[in-house]
Amino acid sequence: MPETAVLSVDRVTKNFGGIHAIQNITFEVQAGEVLGLMGPNGAGKTTLLNIIAGTYSPSSGRVNFCGRDITGLPAHKLCHLGIARTYQIPQPFTSLSARQNILVAAKYGGKKTAGMEHDKIFDLVNLSEQKDMLTRDLATVSLKRLELARALASNPTLILLDEIAAGSSDRELPRILGIIEEIRKMGKTVVLVEHVMKVMVEAVDRIIVIDKGEKIAEGTPGEVMKDEKVLAAYFG
Amino acid sequence: MEDLLIGLAAPITRGILLGGLYVVIALGLSLVFGVMKLINVGHGDLVILGSYFAWAIMGWLGIDPFLSLVVGVPLFFGLGFFVQKFIINRTFRISLDAALIACFGISIIVQSLCQIIWTPFNRSLTTAYQLETFALGPVNISLRYLLNFIGGLAVMIALREFLRRTYLGRAISAASQNEPVAERMGINPNRVYSYAFAIAMACAAVAGVLQGLTFYFSPASGPPFLIISFGVIILGGLGSMAGTFIGGMIFGLTQTLGAYLSGGSLMVQMLAPYLLVFVILAVRPQGIFGR
Amino acid sequence: MKIPRLTTLASVVVLVVLALFPLIGAPLSWLNYLFSFFIYLALATMWNLLAGYTGLICLCPHAFVGLAAYTMAIGTWVGMPFQVGLIAGAAVAAIFALVISFPVFRMKGIYFAIGTLVLPEVLKQWFNYWRPPFGTEYQGGGAGYSVIGLAGFSLGNKYWLALAIAAASIFVVHIILRARLGLGLTAIRDNENTAASSGVNIFRLKLSSFLIAAFIMGIAGAAYFIHNPKIQPSGGFSISWLLLPLMATVIGGEGREEGPIIGAAIVTFLRFLLADYGAWSLFIQGIILIVVVVAMPQGIAGLLRQVGAYRFPQRLFQAAEGKIRRT
Repeated sequence: MPETAVLSVDRVTKNFGGIHAIQNITFEVQAGEVLGLMGPNGAGKTTLLNIIAGTYSPSSGRVNFCGRDITGLPAHKLCHLGIARTYQIPQPFTSLSARQNILVAAKYGGKKTAGMEHDKIFDLVNLSEQKDMLTRDLATVSLKRLELARALASNPTLILLDEIAAGSSDRELPRILGIIEEIRKMGKTVVLVEHVMKVMVEAVDRIIVIDKGEKIAEGTPGEVMKDEKVLAAYFG
Repeated sequence: MEDLLIGLAAPITRGILLGGLYVVIALGLSLVFGVMKLINVGHGDLVILGSYFAWAIMGWLGIDPFLSLVVGVPLFFGLGFFVQKFIINRTFRISLDAALIACFGISIIVQSLCQIIWTPFNRSLTTAYQLETFALGPVNISLRYLLNFIGGLAVMIALREFLRRTYLGRAISAASQNEPVAERMGINPNRVYSYAFAIAMACAAVAGVLQGLTFYFSPASGPPFLIISFGVIILGGLGSMAGTFIGGMIFGLTQTLGAYLSGGSLMVQMLAPYLLVFVILAVRPQGIFGR
Repeated sequence: MKIPRLTTLASVVVLVVLALFPLIGAPLSWLNYLFSFFIYLALATMWNLLAGYTGLICLCPHAFVGLAAYTMAIGTWVGMPFQVGLIAGAAVAAIFALVISFPVFRMKGIYFAIGTLVLPEVLKQWFNYWRPPFGTEYQGGGAGYSVIGLAGFSLGNKYWLALAIAAASIFVVHIILRARLGLGLTAIRDNENTAASSGVNIFRLKLSSFLIAAFIMGIAGAAYFIHNPKIQPSGGFSISWLLLPLMATVIGGEGREEGPIIGAAIVTFLRFLLADYGAWSLFIQGIILIVVVVAMPQGIAGLLRQVGAYRFPQRLFQAAEGKIRRT
């Protein structure tokens, strides 16, 4: 009997006024997978992520998480059920310290089994030295890592990463790949949106390509990179 | 059935005409909100100040309140420019909340000033023609209600032409749509704000005369007008002048129909528009014409 | 045995000293003055909880005050002891807050501000026209509703009541800030979206804050009208009840615990100073409000923090604590 997919997106459509941001997208994510969402700018990747995270409700279609219909549930409920996300542009709690930031997620993230110790989380994302600094004194790079730390602090089953590697230097990139691998080893499932190709090729099991709100390809990195439609979407 | 319709004709007509007054008040509030994203919570009190000013001039020089606008409009314009330039613009550097607090301070100052100078008792602008009525078909129309409507139309058309045809007007329009672009066009936003607030004050002066002819007023009469004019601009949808006009009519109708259907209850007359504002805020804050 | 922190000890000492005032024969004018200060302090602390910590600029404190005061007054007409009336009034204010929270929390920013402003105006008009069908002898015509059954409640008793309310309000905020709720409220204030995706139930937390503030503002306001037992719509729902905590927070400093205390002290002083000047009092307060918000937006507490004025007493405290622990 097939396992229930951790995440199942079923014919999801999202319209904003007259704009069709997402059209009829369907895919599944299995437990422990790392799924990549790829596509040209404005394709609708972040909108899709926002729908999965509960920030938006789909105009039609359903989203299932671990066999349960979560369509239209508010963001905080989804966090309690086990979905965590990072933001593309870091959105920290500006008057709190780094430690307090993740404390919010830890204390409000729902009654799940005990997650990682906070110090270990900071070690993982390489923020140990900045633990007690105020977020307004942190550089953007550190804030991006804080996003990840905060997502981990609620002990989620599914983590949504929005361009976690964007703007990182050649030195940081291997570290980020390592972190994603660590998260996978913890048994968590990851869906990530990324423009940085190295992440897509090395860290990801499967890729879904979206263009103009529609799914145009799905497969392993190798398959997708050779797909004609994908090449057309990117290079015209 | 026919009796019912004929009975309704009067309050409906009155409501539509009264709407003109609310349009004038709302246009001032809307201009400031559109340009600065600020609701001047003292706007209602400034309208009442306009009423008191007209009353004072009438008492002192014996001239018609509309004539007093010759002095009143430039005076209020200058006052508004001053207030924006020296007070509100400064608060923008701090935060939008600070600006809101400053407006609240202005509200308090104007209310207490009116009370000090003119005592808390009810006043009204009484003129020879104020109580005139004339018949339009089966309906008796009050002259002062008609003046409200004409006033509303006049101010709306004047403002619209100003925003379209003058350089300053176009600058204000640009600023209310997209400030960074306006700034790159060489328009100084602070200057634009000052002029916008000044125009809003001028509207308040006109509204003050119209209001004073229609209702009794006291220093505490401001907040109801603030609430109603806020309701008008969000009902009509921000940025839509036609919407504001229709919104004004709807609020006028709410009052007159409410009074009529409740057998003349003053309480319903006052509370019906409040209820409408609250419902709009809770259910459809983008209004009828908004997106 | 755990040695309590020095600041806690100092606060308890101050509390005890203040409580002793009526017993050691402090002049009645002092008791009057401090009575007002305590009421204003409770209001300021609660407003700070809403605006400074939760990020809710709510313009309806006068709705809570007026509603609680009227409930208490009307309650006393049907034989309710005023002490019960106090609680009943506060409860009604809290229930009112609960009911309106559903529509009102859907409004954001300025819409929320105006939405909350409408409420006291509605209540004021309502009480202008509506009369309860009983207790006509207490309705006082134009002079206002009377609170009855107050015989024997001395100034000293009122003083203690006000002191208890002020102490409770400070204590409540103190506890909240150190509990999970405080963390959640700060998260909401800083970034609602992030808070929500971190599992914070925004509505429920805002509601908690709102209910607590409504209750305590209600009880403080009703207590005030025990000392001034005639209630008119223009008094019970006076904009003064909004101006007061707003000024205290602006002058004292928003979002810091000591801010409301400093602010309330200054506002009480101002009011007593201007008490004989009628409408001029409000006029001057309005001017001061504008001047302070332009020139000193961080408030006195913020200013003190900026110039490091806290560092010296802080070091002193820490040294003293260190000494005490070692002995």
